[in-house]
Amino acid sequence: MAFVNLQNLAYKYPLTKTNALENINLQVREGEFVAVIGPNGAGKSTLCYALAGFVPHFFKGEISGEIEVDGRKSGESTLDEWVLNVGLAFQNPFNQISGAKYTVFEEIAFGLENIGVPRDEMKTRVEEAMSLTGISDLADRSPYSLSGGQQQRVALTSILVMRPRLLVLDEPTSQMDPIGTREVFGVVRRMAEEGMTVVMVEHKMEWIAHFADRVIALKEGQIFLEGTPGDVLTSDVLIENGFGISRYTSVAREAKKQGLWKKEKLPVTLDEAVEGFK
Amino acid sequence: MHERLSFHIKRDSVLHRLNPLTKLVLTLALIFLAFTFPWYWMPHLLILIAVIPLSLLGKVFREFWLTALKLILPAAGFLFLMQAFFQPIGTDVIFKFYFLDITSESLMFAFKNAMRVFVMVSAFTLFLLTTHPSELMSDLTRRGLPGQFAYVIISTLQIIPQMQAKAQTIISAQRSRGLDTESTFFKRAGSVLPLVGPLVFGSLVEVEERAIAIEARGFTSKHAKTSLHEIPDSDFDKILRWILFALIVFSIGLNLWLS
Ligand SMILES: Nc1ncnc2c1ncn2[C@@H]1O[C@H](COP(=O)(O)OP(=O)(O)OP(=O)(O)O)[C@@H](O)[C@H]1O
Ligand SMILES: [Mg+2]
Repeated sequence: MAFVNLQNLAYKYPLTKTNALENINLQVREGEFVAVIGPNGAGKSTLCYALAGFVPHFFKGEISGEIEVDGRKSGESTLDEWVLNVGLAFQNPFNQISGAKYTVFEEIAFGLENIGVPRDEMKTRVEEAMSLTGISDLADRSPYSLSGGQQQRVALTSILVMRPRLLVLDEPTSQMDPIGTREVFGVVRRMAEEGMTVVMVEHKMEWIAHFADRVIALKEGQIFLEGTPGDVLTSDVLIENGFGISRYTSVAREAKKQGLWKKEKLPVTLDEAVEGFK
Repeated sequence: MHERLSFHIKRDSVLHRLNPLTKLVLTLALIFLAFTFPWYWMPHLLILIAVIPLSLLGKVFREFWLTALKLILPAAGFLFLMQAFFQPIGTDVIFKFYFLDITSESLMFAFKNAMRVFVMVSAFTLFLLTTHPSELMSDLTRRGLPGQFAYVIISTLQIIPQMQAKAQTIISAQRSRGLDTESTFFKRAGSVLPLVGPLVFGSLVEVEERAIAIEARGFTSKHAKTSLHEIPDSDFDKILRWILFALIVFSIGLNLWLS
């Protein structure tokens, strides 16, 4: 039995005419790292909200189909119980700062205070989570004084510290530099190795290829393509339908037209490209 | 940007170690004594025996008086002048300025009121300087104040400077597109309207996202909440609170009885 199970999920926001999600069938096994890609308005964030319980518990509208995580149905649960199992960090880090705390350390402890974790355990968990994401040195800063990328790390840490079984990340590196992005992917991969299930919306194809187990491509609310990063991220249909591709893929694609790329499969990462051009 | 959004100064002092509620009651006690105790020199005495010693005890003497000079003295001074001139009491005129008389009675009255205000604002300043806002909120929540209510208060305190910063950004952006924000009042009032939209609607979207974010972190969880900071609440705190409370009641009672 899959850990995450979406069956014929369709959803329409209130006061809108078209479905934001349509006919979504998705199974994710425990400890799997799934990346979600897709153009603007494809429904990526909506899918995150659906997994994290905010659709339909926070955003009303019309929903049909099933959302099941760890054998429990979202529709039969309440939001405050659901979030104990499913953690969500989303795009804009500024709006994820609780606004009730004066230091990063306190900010990260906020969730643990809410769910009643004892003080000593709370401190250890916050410290561990901060060293995992590399923000220990920000502990005493005001969350508002940080850069966008630093705030995104704080947002991620604030969710990780709660140890959800399913981690849902909506473009968690959008404001990060390449090094930060790589580190976040590394942390997420590690969490997956330790058994956390991850669904992560991202655009950075090379890192997806490096770290994710599977890619889901969304378009107009539907799953358009799905498979291993190597297959999905180099497929012609993807390119023809306006999804972005990695620069190594596009270079090799041109090279292939001119007979310079000999391999059957196109590369996504630098290593694969170097290997193929040898 | 805003590295410090609260008044609170982290120090280790007797005052810092008091329970937040005790300090709140202390603040209220000072204010009630200053305003209701039926004795002319009470506010002055309070400054001598409470405000000054407390600022020392809390190890915030310097910060306190800096704030006091910037914030409290101008306000108290203004109040003093207004009341000295416009309080139509007494006959012992000691100073004449056109049609305005200053009598010794109005002078005494004004002095007392200025001192009352001084005590009130000092009490609050001392309270804010020595109390961590989230500790106050955790403590009050623990005593039964609804969590949502506490959150609204404390996040508002934090969000005001950000709204200001954002308003400034929007104004700059609009001005660079030719918005007039510097001519006469009425022209300006009209031209500020386009700023309201982005500020308010921007805030609504932000409110929605923030609601999702805190919900995702278990804000409405039915578990009993815990708190990161240990909040002191000794027997001394409890006794002190009762004494202060009794003082407030006594002062109000005496005031009513004598009037
Ligand atoms: N709160 C809302 N109310 C109504 N419609 C919404 C709401 N949020 C999103 N939508 C609509 O639902 C569709 C999917 O939006 P969604 O935000 O999920 O896209 P996305 O893939 O995350 O896009 P992006 O790459 O821009 O983040 C869009 O057509 C959008 O306009
Ligand atoms: Mg989105």
